[in-house]
Amino acid sequence: MLRPMANDDRRYFDEIEVGEAYESPGRTVTEADIVMFAGLSGDYNVLHTDAEFMKSSIFGERIAHGLLGLSIQSGLLTRGMRPYATIAFLGLRWKFKGPIKIGDTIRARAKVTGKKETSKSDRGIVTLSRQVLNQRGEVVQEGETDVMVARQP
Amino acid sequence: MTGATPQYFEDLVVGRVHQTPGLTLTRGHVIQFLGFAGDWPDTAEDDRRVPDLLPLCISSGLGFRLSPPLAVLAFMGFEWQFLRPLYVGDTIRSRSSMVTKRSLREGGVIVEARDILDQSGEVTQSGRLTLLVAKRPAERP
Repeated sequence: MLRPMANDDRRYFDEIEVGEAYESPGRTVTEADIVMFAGLSGDYNVLHTDAEFMKSSIFGERIAHGLLGLSIQSGLLTRGMRPYATIAFLGLRWKFKGPIKIGDTIRARAKVTGKKETSKSDRGIVTLSRQVLNQRGEVVQEGETDVMVARQP
Repeated sequence: MTGATPQYFEDLVVGRVHQTPGLTLTRGHVIQFLGFAGDWPDTAEDDRRVPDLLPLCISSGLGFRLSPPLAVLAFMGFEWQFLRPLYVGDTIRSRSSMVTKRSLREGGVIVEARDILDQSGEVTQSGRLTLLVAKRPAERP
């Protein structure tokens, strides 16, 4: 079953404050994650799949797909915050700043940087600024996400 | 680079449009994605709903099925909009064109405009991606 249990813990637009910050637990990115992501996405670029070729690259080894890191941080952050009463994920602006290598442990950090009313009075847009950090505290990815959140009914 | 010769920076033409083969989104894709991302939705009233990031991830793989694929050295960043929800059973394809290209000493940076279309040709997701692409290597003696 994909349907989640009813969640009474969801937060409405009105309760969310600009400046709130969240931090996720860590997760070690494994070779299995990369192999699985290549299979699921169909992205078999040598960057992610050819260990021999990558020995002579600037990275020295295979690196995780950027979108794998993005997907993992999305899941990680849900473990570090109470869920919003989300209506829709509207979009994002994102930068890949450094490689995620096999064995790296990443975590996600986020902060509410904007709240915007919309033409409909039952909802608003929340902007989160997010960072993905590795075990050395280096920011390997960062960006902003916009979600449409329901107001208290 | 071994195998089929990829498309290098020099081969790319601004404005040329590429459309990938299609791929039908299945429950298998959804479960696999949710499992590894650990991103179980808290909003799904409909369990046929496809997680928003999944079609984006698949669009990169679809691009990889173009022949010849792009010699991507690094994915630098992107901006993206989710315009319409997708459901299990929908068939997506990716349509892209290069907006700008800028040559650097090592490779070149391109901006690609990409739309994810559904089976009726509607744009469901759309955005711009910035990629570092390899230049054609010098002929080996």
